[in-house]
Amino acid sequence: MCETSYTERFWEALSDGRFLIHTCNDCEERFFPPAPVCPSCHSWSVDWIESNGTGELYSFTRQHATADGFPDEIVAGVVELDEGPRLLTAIDEAYADLVLGDRVRVEPREYPHNYDRGCRSEYPFFAATTIDGDE
Amino acid sequence: MTVTRTASVAGIGLLPNGTYSIPERELAIDVIHEALEDAAVSMADVDGLYMPSPRPWTKQKFFSTNLLHLLGLEVDRTIEVSTGGTSGGKAFQTAVSDVRSGAVDTALVFAVERNSVIETTGPYFDYILSTFDANFESPIGMSIPGVYAQSMQRYCHEYDVKREDLAEIVVKNRDNAAADPDTLFDKPVDREAVLGSRPIADPIRLYECPAPCDGGAALVVTSDDGDGSDTSSETEGTVEVAGLGSHHAASHLLMTRDESITELPAVRKAAREASRDGGRARDEIDVYEPYAPFPHIEAIITEELGLVDRGAGLEACLDGRTAADGEFPISPSGGCLGRGHPPMVTPLYNYVEAVRQLRGTASTQVLDANYVLTTSEHGHVNGATATVFAKGE
Repeated sequence: MCETSYTERFWEALSDGRFLIHTCNDCEERFFPPAPVCPSCHSWSVDWIESNGTGELYSFTRQHATADGFPDEIVAGVVELDEGPRLLTAIDEAYADLVLGDRVRVEPREYPHNYDRGCRSEYPFFAATTIDGDE
Repeated sequence: MTVTRTASVAGIGLLPNGTYSIPERELAIDVIHEALEDAAVSMADVDGLYMPSPRPWTKQKFFSTNLLHLLGLEVDRTIEVSTGGTSGGKAFQTAVSDVRSGAVDTALVFAVERNSVIETTGPYFDYILSTFDANFESPIGMSIPGVYAQSMQRYCHEYDVKREDLAEIVVKNRDNAAADPDTLFDKPVDREAVLGSRPIADPIRLYECPAPCDGGAALVVTSDDGDGSDTSSETEGTVEVAGLGSHHAASHLLMTRDESITELPAVRKAAREASRDGGRARDEIDVYEPYAPFPHIEAIITEELGLVDRGAGLEACLDGRTAADGEFPISPSGGCLGRGHPPMVTPLYNYVEAVRQLRGTASTQVLDANYVLTTSEHGHVNGATATVFAKGE
Protein backbone atom coordinates (compact mmCIF):
# COMPACT_ATOMS: atom_id res chain seq x y z
CA MET A 1 0.00 0.00 0.00
CA CYS A 2 1.54 3.31 -1.10
CA GLU A 3 0.99 6.50 0.84
CA THR A 4 -0.25 9.47 -1.17
CA SER A 5 2.66 11.23 -2.82
CA TYR A 6 2.81 14.81 -4.04
CA THR A 7 2.55 13.74 -7.69
CA GLU A 8 -0.56 11.60 -7.13
CA ARG A 9 -2.74 14.42 -8.43
CA PHE A 10 -0.86 14.42 -11.74
CA TRP A 11 -1.49 10.71 -12.30
CA GLU A 12 -5.15 10.97 -11.24
CA ALA A 13 -5.67 13.83 -13.71
CA LEU A 14 -3.80 12.00 -16.47
CA SER A 15 -6.22 9.08 -15.99
CA ASP A 16 -8.99 11.57 -16.81
CA GLY A 17 -7.17 12.79 -19.91
CA ARG A 18 -5.85 16.02 -18.38
CA PHE A 19 -2.14 16.98 -18.31
CA LEU A 20 -1.22 18.98 -15.22
CA ILE A 21 1.86 21.10 -14.70
CA HIS A 22 2.84 23.65 -12.05
CA THR A 23 2.85 27.43 -11.88
CA CYS A 24 4.58 29.68 -9.36
CA ASN A 25 2.32 32.26 -7.71
CA ASP A 26 5.26 34.60 -7.14
CA CYS A 27 7.31 34.60 -10.36
CA GLU A 28 4.79 32.92 -12.70
CA GLU A 29 7.31 30.28 -13.78
CA ARG A 30 5.56 27.25 -15.30
CA PHE A 31 7.40 24.04 -14.52
CA PHE A 32 7.40 20.27 -14.77
CA PRO A 33 7.74 17.80 -13.07
CA PRO A 34 5.45 19.07 -10.31
CA ALA A 35 7.17 19.77 -6.99
CA PRO A 36 6.25 21.91 -3.97
CA VAL A 37 8.96 24.53 -4.63
CA CYS A 38 9.51 26.79 -7.63
CA PRO A 39 12.84 25.91 -9.30
CA SER A 40 13.16 29.50 -10.58
CA CYS A 41 12.58 31.73 -7.50
CA HIS A 42 12.33 29.03 -4.79
CA SER A 43 8.91 30.21 -3.64
CA TRP A 44 6.80 27.57 -1.89
CA SER A 45 3.62 29.19 -3.19
CA VAL A 46 2.92 27.01 -6.22
CA ASP A 47 -0.24 25.66 -7.84
CA TRP A 48 -1.39 22.99 -10.25
CA ILE A 49 -2.57 24.21 -13.64
CA GLU A 50 -3.85 22.35 -16.64
CA SER A 51 -1.81 22.30 -19.84
CA ASN A 52 -3.47 21.28 -23.06
CA GLY A 53 -0.39 19.10 -23.59
CA THR A 54 0.56 20.74 -26.86
CA GLY A 55 4.00 21.97 -27.78
CA GLU A 56 6.94 21.60 -30.15
CA LEU A 57 9.32 18.73 -30.67
CA TYR A 58 12.63 19.99 -29.29
CA SER A 59 14.73 16.86 -29.91
CA PHE A 60 14.15 13.17 -30.60
CA THR A 61 15.88 9.86 -31.21
CA ARG A 62 15.20 6.28 -32.21
CA GLN A 63 16.90 3.97 -29.76
CA HIS A 64 18.08 0.61 -31.15
CA ALA A 65 19.29 -0.84 -27.85
CA THR A 66 16.58 -1.17 -25.20
CA ALA A 67 16.08 -2.77 -21.80
CA ASP A 68 14.43 -6.14 -21.24
CA GLY A 69 10.66 -5.82 -21.44
CA PHE A 70 10.71 -2.87 -23.87
CA PRO A 71 10.19 -2.96 -27.65
CA ASP A 72 13.35 -3.51 -29.72
CA GLU A 73 13.16 0.10 -30.86
CA ILE A 74 11.96 3.13 -28.93
CA VAL A 75 11.18 6.58 -30.35
CA ALA A 76 11.38 9.26 -27.66
CA GLY A 77 12.26 12.89 -27.35
CA VAL A 78 11.95 16.19 -25.54
CA VAL A 79 8.81 18.27 -26.00
CA GLU A 80 8.68 21.96 -25.16
CA LEU A 81 5.13 22.60 -23.99
CA ASP A 82 3.43 25.83 -25.10
CA GLU A 83 3.46 26.93 -21.45
CA GLY A 84 7.27 26.66 -21.39
CA PRO A 85 8.40 23.52 -19.55
CA ARG A 86 10.26 20.76 -21.39
CA LEU A 87 9.67 17.10 -20.71
CA LEU A 88 11.04 13.82 -21.92
CA THR A 89 8.38 11.62 -23.48
CA ALA A 90 7.79 8.55 -25.58
CA ILE A 91 6.65 9.44 -29.11
CA ASP A 92 3.99 7.34 -30.85
CA GLU A 93 5.20 8.09 -34.37
CA ALA A 94 7.62 6.61 -36.88
CA TYR A 95 11.09 8.11 -36.48
CA ALA A 96 11.39 8.84 -40.20
CA ASP A 97 8.22 10.95 -40.11
CA LEU A 98 9.48 13.33 -37.41
CA VAL A 99 11.09 16.75 -37.89
CA LEU A 100 12.43 19.13 -35.24
CA GLY A 101 9.77 21.72 -34.40
CA ASP A 102 6.84 19.42 -35.20
CA ARG A 103 3.67 20.31 -33.34
CA VAL A 104 2.86 17.53 -30.87
CA ARG A 105 0.40 16.73 -28.10
CA VAL A 106 1.30 14.75 -24.98
CA GLU A 107 -1.56 12.45 -23.99
CA PRO A 108 -2.25 9.51 -21.66
CA ARG A 109 -1.26 6.06 -22.96
CA GLU A 110 -1.71 2.56 -21.65
CA TYR A 111 1.65 1.41 -20.30
CA PRO A 112 2.37 -2.09 -21.65
CA HIS A 113 6.10 -2.43 -20.84
CA ASN A 114 7.40 -4.76 -18.23
CA TYR A 115 9.18 -2.02 -16.29
CA ASP A 116 8.44 -1.58 -12.59
CA ARG A 117 6.35 1.53 -11.93
CA GLY A 118 5.66 0.46 -8.37
CA CYS A 119 2.40 1.94 -7.08
CA ARG A 120 1.74 3.57 -10.49
CA SER A 121 1.13 0.27 -12.24
CA GLU A 122 -2.64 0.90 -12.43
CA TYR A 123 -2.21 4.30 -14.07
CA PRO A 124 -1.60 5.20 -17.71
CA PHE A 125 1.70 6.81 -18.70
CA PHE A 126 1.96 9.43 -21.46
CA ALA A 127 3.24 9.72 -25.02
CA ALA A 128 3.38 12.40 -27.72
CA THR A 129 1.83 12.32 -31.17
CA THR A 130 2.12 14.86 -33.95
CA ILE A 131 -0.81 17.21 -34.57
CA ASP A 132 -1.73 19.80 -37.21
CA GLY A 133 0.30 23.00 -37.06
CA ASP A 134 -2.82 25.02 -36.25
CA GLU A 135 -3.56 23.18 -33.03
CA MET B 1 39.04 26.95 1.65
CA THR B 2 42.44 27.96 3.05
CA VAL B 3 45.21 26.31 1.11
CA THR B 4 48.11 25.70 3.41
CA ARG B 5 50.09 23.11 1.47
CA THR B 6 50.67 22.12 -2.13
CA ALA B 7 49.37 18.68 -3.13
CA SER B 8 51.26 16.55 -5.62
CA VAL B 9 50.78 13.24 -7.36
CA ALA B 10 53.75 11.16 -6.25
CA GLY B 11 52.80 7.91 -7.94
CA ILE B 12 50.42 6.32 -10.42
CA GLY B 13 49.18 2.82 -11.14
CA LEU B 14 47.02 1.57 -14.00
CA LEU B 15 45.39 -1.67 -15.09
CA PRO B 16 45.07 -1.81 -18.87
CA ASN B 17 41.49 -1.56 -20.11
CA GLY B 18 40.13 -4.98 -21.04
CA THR B 19 38.40 -7.93 -19.39
CA TYR B 20 39.37 -9.30 -15.97
CA SER B 21 38.13 -12.49 -14.38
CA ILE B 22 39.31 -11.74 -10.82
CA PRO B 23 37.23 -9.87 -8.21
CA GLU B 24 37.38 -6.08 -7.97
CA ARG B 25 39.14 -6.11 -4.61
CA GLU B 26 42.04 -8.08 -6.09
CA LEU B 27 42.23 -5.60 -8.96
CA ALA B 28 42.29 -2.86 -6.32
CA ILE B 29 45.19 -4.42 -4.44
CA ASP B 30 47.19 -4.83 -7.68
CA VAL B 31 46.73 -1.26 -8.84
CA ILE B 32 47.32 0.20 -5.36
CA HIS B 33 50.58 -1.80 -5.12
CA GLU B 34 51.72 -0.35 -8.42
CA ALA B 35 50.94 3.25 -7.40
CA LEU B 36 52.69 2.91 -4.02
CA GLU B 37 55.80 1.46 -5.69
CA ASP B 38 55.80 4.24 -8.27
CA ALA B 39 55.58 6.81 -5.46
CA ALA B 40 58.20 4.99 -3.34
CA VAL B 41 55.73 5.28 -0.46
CA SER B 42 55.10 2.48 1.99
CA MET B 43 51.62 1.20 2.75
CA ALA B 44 52.02 2.28 6.38
CA ASP B 45 52.33 5.92 5.31
CA VAL B 46 48.84 6.00 3.79
CA ASP B 47 46.43 7.89 6.06
CA GLY B 48 43.54 8.54 3.66
CA LEU B 49 41.62 6.28 1.23
CA TYR B 50 39.39 7.76 -1.49
CA MET B 51 37.36 5.93 -4.12
CA PRO B 52 34.22 5.98 -6.25
CA SER B 53 31.51 3.70 -4.87
CA PRO B 54 31.65 0.37 -6.67
CA ARG B 55 28.98 -0.11 -9.32
CA PRO B 56 25.73 -1.64 -8.00
CA TRP B 57 26.58 -5.05 -9.49
CA THR B 58 29.90 -5.31 -7.64
CA LYS B 59 29.50 -8.19 -5.19
CA GLN B 60 31.65 -6.68 -2.45
CA LYS B 61 29.77 -3.94 -0.59
CA PHE B 62 31.44 -1.95 2.21
CA PHE B 63 34.33 -2.02 -0.24
CA SER B 64 36.69 0.44 1.46
CA THR B 65 36.12 -1.09 4.88
CA ASN B 66 36.84 -4.56 3.54
CA LEU B 67 39.95 -3.28 1.78
CA LEU B 68 41.33 -1.45 4.83
CA HIS B 69 41.10 -4.69 6.79
CA LEU B 70 42.83 -6.68 4.03
CA LEU B 71 45.60 -4.08 3.73
CA GLY B 72 46.01 -3.67 7.50
CA LEU B 73 45.54 0.08 7.13
CA GLU B 74 44.39 2.56 9.76
CA VAL B 75 43.44 5.86 8.15
CA ASP B 76 42.04 9.25 9.23
CA ARG B 77 39.83 9.76 6.18
CA THR B 78 37.88 7.42 3.89
CA ILE B 79 35.26 8.23 1.30
CA GLU B 80 33.25 6.35 -1.32
CA VAL B 81 31.63 8.74 -3.80
CA SER B 82 28.48 7.87 -5.76
CA THR B 83 27.74 10.55 -8.35
CA GLY B 84 28.11 8.57 -11.58
CA GLY B 85 30.94 9.66 -13.85
CA THR B 86 32.18 12.41 -11.52
CA SER B 87 32.68 9.95 -8.63
CA GLY B 88 36.37 9.40 -9.40
CA GLY B 89 36.85 13.14 -9.90
CA LYS B 90 35.27 14.02 -6.57
CA ALA B 91 37.18 11.27 -4.74
CA PHE B 92 40.43 12.66 -6.14
CA GLN B 93 39.55 16.29 -5.40
CA THR B 94 38.57 15.40 -1.83
CA ALA B 95 41.94 13.71 -1.40
CA VAL B 96 43.73 16.78 -2.74
CA SER B 97 41.74 19.08 -0.42
CA ASP B 98 42.57 16.89 2.58
CA VAL B 99 46.28 16.92 1.72
CA ARG B 100 46.19 20.69 1.19
CA SER B 101 44.50 21.26 4.54
CA GLY B 102 46.78 18.88 6.41
CA ALA B 103 43.98 16.48 7.35
CA VAL B 104 46.07 13.72 5.76
CA ASP B 105 49.65 13.48 4.53
CA THR B 106 49.48 10.56 2.12
CA ALA B 107 46.21 10.04 0.27
CA LEU B 108 45.52 6.96 -1.80
CA VAL B 109 42.91 7.38 -4.54
CA PHE B 110 41.81 4.43 -6.63
CA ALA B 111 38.99 3.10 -8.79
CA VAL B 112 38.31 -0.38 -10.12
CA GLU B 113 35.39 -1.52 -12.21
CA ARG B 114 34.22 -4.58 -14.11
CA ASN B 115 31.52 -4.20 -16.74
CA SER B 116 32.21 -7.59 -18.35
CA VAL B 117 30.22 -9.33 -15.61
CA ILE B 118 26.87 -7.73 -16.42
CA GLU B 119 24.34 -8.11 -19.23
CA THR B 120 23.82 -4.73 -20.86
CA THR B 121 20.11 -5.31 -21.55
CA GLY B 122 19.34 -6.66 -18.07
CA PRO B 123 20.47 -5.34 -14.66
CA TYR B 124 22.80 -2.78 -16.24
CA PHE B 125 19.92 -1.18 -18.13
CA ASP B 126 17.75 -1.28 -14.99
CA TYR B 127 20.45 0.73 -13.23
CA ILE B 128 20.60 3.23 -16.11
CA LEU B 129 16.80 3.63 -16.12
CA SER B 130 16.90 4.33 -12.39
CA THR B 131 19.17 7.34 -12.96
CA PHE B 132 16.33 9.15 -14.78
CA ASP B 133 13.40 10.77 -12.91
CA ALA B 134 11.87 7.63 -11.40
CA ASN B 135 8.31 8.97 -11.61
CA PHE B 136 8.20 10.68 -14.98
CA GLU B 137 11.12 9.40 -17.07
CA SER B 138 12.37 5.93 -16.12
CA PRO B 139 9.29 4.21 -17.64
CA ILE B 140 10.18 5.65 -21.07
CA GLY B 141 13.14 3.26 -21.35
CA MET B 142 15.78 5.76 -22.44
CA SER B 143 19.48 4.86 -22.58
CA ILE B 144 22.49 7.13 -22.09
CA PRO B 145 23.30 7.11 -25.84
CA GLY B 146 19.60 7.97 -26.36
CA VAL B 147 20.16 11.08 -24.25
CA TYR B 148 23.34 12.17 -26.01
CA ALA B 149 21.81 11.42 -29.42
CA GLN B 150 19.42 14.30 -28.81
CA SER B 151 22.15 16.82 -27.99
CA MET B 152 24.03 15.63 -31.10
CA GLN B 153 20.88 16.26 -33.14
CA ARG B 154 20.42 19.72 -31.60
CA TYR B 155 24.12 20.57 -32.04
CA CYS B 156 24.00 19.80 -35.77
CA HIS B 157 20.69 21.69 -36.05
CA GLU B 158 21.63 24.81 -34.10
CA TYR B 159 25.10 25.32 -35.58
CA ASP B 160 24.63 23.85 -39.05
CA VAL B 161 27.27 21.25 -38.28
CA LYS B 162 27.64 18.41 -40.77
CA ARG B 163 26.74 15.30 -38.79
CA GLU B 164 29.15 13.05 -40.72
CA ASP B 165 32.10 15.30 -39.80
CA LEU B 166 31.64 14.44 -36.11
CA ALA B 167 33.11 11.02 -36.94
CA GLU B 168 36.49 12.76 -37.31
CA ILE B 169 36.68 13.31 -33.55
CA VAL B 170 36.37 9.55 -33.05
CA VAL B 171 39.00 8.98 -35.76
CA LYS B 172 41.40 11.37 -33.98
CA ASN B 173 40.84 9.80 -30.56
CA ARG B 174 41.13 6.21 -31.75
CA ASP B 175 44.31 7.19 -33.57
CA ASN B 176 45.72 8.81 -30.41
CA ALA B 177 45.02 5.66 -28.38
CA ALA B 178 46.08 3.05 -30.93
CA ALA B 179 49.77 2.88 -29.93
CA ASP B 180 49.04 2.70 -26.18
CA PRO B 181 48.98 -0.94 -24.99
CA ASP B 182 46.90 0.09 -21.95
CA THR B 183 43.86 1.00 -24.07
CA LEU B 184 41.08 -1.28 -25.32
CA PHE B 185 41.73 -0.81 -29.03
CA ASP B 186 45.01 -1.31 -30.84
CA LYS B 187 43.78 -0.26 -34.25
CA PRO B 188 42.65 3.14 -35.51
CA VAL B 189 39.37 3.53 -37.41
CA ASP B 190 38.53 5.65 -40.43
CA ARG B 191 35.55 7.90 -41.04
CA GLU B 192 33.74 5.28 -43.13
CA ALA B 193 34.07 2.66 -40.39
CA VAL B 194 32.64 5.06 -37.79
CA LEU B 195 29.71 6.07 -39.97
CA GLY B 196 29.15 2.47 -41.08
CA SER B 197 29.04 1.03 -37.56
CA ARG B 198 25.61 0.00 -36.37
CA PRO B 199 23.16 2.64 -35.13
CA ILE B 200 22.70 2.75 -31.34
CA ALA B 201 20.44 5.77 -30.92
CA ASP B 202 19.98 7.85 -34.06
CA PRO B 203 22.08 9.68 -35.06
CA ILE B 204 24.75 8.08 -32.80
CA ARG B 205 26.64 5.05 -34.13
CA LEU B 206 28.43 2.32 -32.18
CA TYR B 207 31.96 3.70 -32.66
CA GLU B 208 30.75 7.06 -31.39
CA CYS B 209 29.87 5.47 -28.02
CA PRO B 210 32.53 4.84 -25.37
CA ALA B 211 33.07 1.06 -25.16
CA PRO B 212 32.32 -0.33 -21.68
CA CYS B 213 35.17 -2.47 -20.30
CA ASP B 214 37.01 -3.42 -17.10
CA GLY B 215 39.88 -1.45 -15.67
CA GLY B 216 41.46 0.26 -12.70
CA ALA B 217 43.76 3.11 -11.71
CA ALA B 218 45.33 4.52 -8.54
CA LEU B 219 47.19 7.69 -7.57
CA VAL B 220 49.16 8.62 -4.47
CA VAL B 221 48.70 12.27 -3.43
CA THR B 222 51.16 13.85 -0.99
CA SER B 223 52.27 17.28 0.17
CA ASP B 224 55.58 18.71 -1.02
CA ASP B 225 55.73 22.19 0.45
CA GLY B 226 59.16 21.88 1.98
CA ASP B 227 57.82 23.47 5.18
CA GLY B 228 58.87 20.66 7.42
CA SER B 229 55.73 18.68 6.62
CA ASP B 230 57.16 17.33 3.40
CA THR B 231 55.91 13.82 2.87
CA SER B 232 56.60 13.44 -0.83
CA SER B 233 59.19 11.06 -2.17
CA GLU B 234 61.04 13.86 -4.00
CA THR B 235 61.04 11.73 -7.11
CA GLU B 236 61.50 13.32 -10.49
CA GLY B 237 58.02 12.18 -11.38
CA THR B 238 56.24 14.45 -8.90
CA VAL B 239 53.44 16.43 -10.48
CA GLU B 240 51.64 19.27 -8.71
CA VAL B 241 47.84 19.34 -8.49
CA ALA B 242 47.59 23.06 -9.15
CA GLY B 243 43.87 23.78 -9.44
CA LEU B 244 40.50 22.30 -8.51
CA GLY B 245 37.07 23.26 -9.85
CA SER B 246 33.60 21.76 -9.64
CA HIS B 247 30.08 22.76 -10.59
CA HIS B 248 26.58 21.30 -10.94
CA ALA B 249 23.89 22.96 -13.04
CA ALA B 250 20.21 22.91 -11.96
CA SER B 251 19.55 20.21 -14.57
CA HIS B 252 19.01 16.45 -14.68
CA LEU B 253 20.05 14.56 -17.83
CA LEU B 254 18.19 16.33 -20.69
CA MET B 255 16.00 18.37 -18.34
CA THR B 256 17.36 21.89 -18.58
CA ARG B 257 15.05 24.91 -18.32
CA ASP B 258 15.97 27.85 -20.49
CA GLU B 259 19.35 26.96 -21.92
CA SER B 260 19.97 24.70 -24.89
CA ILE B 261 21.11 21.12 -24.28
CA THR B 262 24.07 22.02 -26.53
CA GLU B 263 25.50 24.13 -23.71
CA LEU B 264 27.38 22.53 -20.83
CA PRO B 265 27.60 25.19 -18.10
CA ALA B 266 28.88 22.74 -15.46
CA VAL B 267 32.11 22.03 -17.31
CA ARG B 268 32.52 25.71 -18.25
CA LYS B 269 32.23 26.86 -14.64
CA ALA B 270 34.30 23.99 -13.20
CA ALA B 271 37.12 24.73 -15.67
CA ARG B 272 37.06 28.44 -14.87
CA GLU B 273 37.32 27.71 -11.16
CA ALA B 274 40.16 25.21 -11.67
CA SER B 275 42.07 27.72 -13.83
CA ARG B 276 41.62 30.42 -11.18
CA ASP B 277 42.58 28.06 -8.37
CA GLY B 278 45.65 26.98 -10.32
CA GLY B 279 46.59 30.53 -11.27
CA ARG B 280 46.76 29.49 -14.92
CA ALA B 281 44.95 31.33 -17.70
CA ARG B 282 43.45 29.34 -20.54
CA ASP B 283 46.34 30.10 -22.90
CA GLU B 284 48.80 28.66 -20.38
CA ILE B 285 47.27 25.16 -20.53
CA ASP B 286 49.20 22.89 -22.90
CA VAL B 287 47.04 19.72 -22.91
CA TYR B 288 43.35 18.93 -22.29
CA GLU B 289 42.07 15.54 -21.18
CA PRO B 290 38.29 15.94 -20.93
CA TYR B 291 35.75 13.30 -19.98
CA ALA B 292 33.93 13.45 -23.32
CA PRO B 293 31.88 10.29 -23.93
CA PHE B 294 30.53 11.24 -27.37
CA PRO B 295 32.19 13.18 -30.21
CA HIS B 296 29.92 16.24 -30.15
CA ILE B 297 30.54 16.52 -26.40
CA GLU B 298 34.29 16.91 -27.04
CA ALA B 299 33.41 19.61 -29.61
CA ILE B 300 31.15 21.43 -27.13
CA ILE B 301 33.70 21.13 -24.30
CA THR B 302 36.26 22.74 -26.65
CA GLU B 303 33.83 25.65 -26.83
CA GLU B 304 33.03 25.71 -23.11
CA LEU B 305 36.75 25.85 -22.28
CA GLY B 306 36.84 29.10 -24.23
CA LEU B 307 39.22 27.74 -26.87
CA VAL B 308 36.86 28.52 -29.78
CA ASP B 309 33.52 30.24 -30.36
CA ARG B 310 30.25 28.40 -29.79
CA GLY B 311 29.55 26.03 -32.69
CA ALA B 312 33.21 25.97 -33.80
CA GLY B 313 34.41 23.00 -31.71
CA LEU B 314 34.17 20.46 -34.50
CA GLU B 315 35.91 22.74 -36.97
CA ALA B 316 38.84 23.00 -34.53
CA CYS B 317 39.24 19.22 -34.78
CA LEU B 318 38.85 19.18 -38.57
CA ASP B 319 41.55 21.87 -38.82
CA GLY B 320 43.97 19.81 -36.70
CA ARG B 321 44.00 22.35 -33.87
CA THR B 322 43.01 19.66 -31.31
CA ALA B 323 45.56 17.07 -32.55
CA ALA B 324 48.47 16.10 -30.29
CA ASP B 325 50.73 18.43 -32.31
CA GLY B 326 47.99 21.05 -32.71
CA GLU B 327 47.41 24.44 -31.12
CA PHE B 328 45.48 23.03 -28.12
CA PRO B 329 45.74 19.21 -27.96
CA ILE B 330 42.55 17.53 -26.75
CA SER B 331 42.43 13.88 -25.63
CA PRO B 332 45.95 12.84 -26.69
CA SER B 333 45.28 9.67 -24.65
CA GLY B 334 42.27 8.99 -26.87
CA GLY B 335 39.84 9.85 -24.08
CA CYS B 336 37.11 7.39 -23.24
CA LEU B 337 36.21 7.03 -26.95
CA GLY B 338 39.73 5.88 -27.80
CA ARG B 339 40.71 4.08 -24.60
CA GLY B 340 37.49 2.27 -23.64
CA HIS B 341 35.35 3.37 -20.73
CA PRO B 342 34.91 2.07 -17.21
CA PRO B 343 33.10 5.25 -16.05
CA MET B 344 34.27 5.04 -12.43
CA VAL B 345 37.88 4.77 -13.61
CA THR B 346 37.83 7.22 -16.54
CA PRO B 347 38.47 10.36 -14.41
CA LEU B 348 41.48 8.64 -12.86
CA TYR B 349 42.75 7.58 -16.30
CA ASN B 350 42.62 11.26 -17.23
CA TYR B 351 44.75 12.08 -14.15
CA VAL B 352 47.20 9.28 -14.95
CA GLU B 353 47.47 10.66 -18.49
CA ALA B 354 48.08 14.17 -17.10
CA VAL B 355 50.94 12.81 -14.98
CA ARG B 356 52.38 10.90 -17.93
CA GLN B 357 52.23 14.01 -20.15
CA LEU B 358 54.03 16.06 -17.50
CA ARG B 359 56.62 13.34 -16.90
CA GLY B 360 57.14 13.07 -20.66
CA THR B 361 56.13 9.40 -20.71
CA ALA B 362 52.74 9.54 -22.49
CA SER B 363 52.10 7.19 -25.39
CA THR B 364 51.03 10.11 -27.57
CA GLN B 365 53.26 12.76 -26.04
CA VAL B 366 52.60 16.49 -26.40
CA LEU B 367 55.90 18.38 -26.70
CA ASP B 368 56.81 20.75 -23.85
CA ALA B 369 53.73 19.95 -21.78
CA ASN B 370 53.83 21.97 -18.55
CA TYR B 371 50.14 22.28 -17.66
CA VAL B 372 47.28 19.83 -18.23
CA LEU B 373 43.55 20.37 -17.57
CA THR B 374 41.27 17.35 -17.09
CA THR B 375 37.52 17.08 -16.53
CA SER B 376 34.98 14.55 -15.33
CA GLU B 377 31.20 14.66 -15.76
CA HIS B 378 28.00 12.80 -14.98
CA GLY B 379 24.51 12.59 -16.44
CA HIS B 380 24.40 14.75 -19.54
CA VAL B 381 27.33 16.81 -18.19
CA ASN B 382 24.92 18.14 -15.54
CA GLY B 383 27.75 18.01 -13.01
CA ALA B 384 31.46 18.33 -13.71
CA THR B 385 34.87 18.60 -12.11
CA ALA B 386 37.99 20.18 -13.58
CA THR B 387 41.55 19.74 -12.36
CA VAL B 388 44.76 21.48 -13.43
CA PHE B 389 48.08 19.64 -13.14
CA ALA B 390 51.49 21.32 -13.34
CA LYS B 391 54.96 19.98 -13.93
CA GLY B 392 56.89 19.78 -10.63
CA GLU B 393 59.69 22.31 -10.06
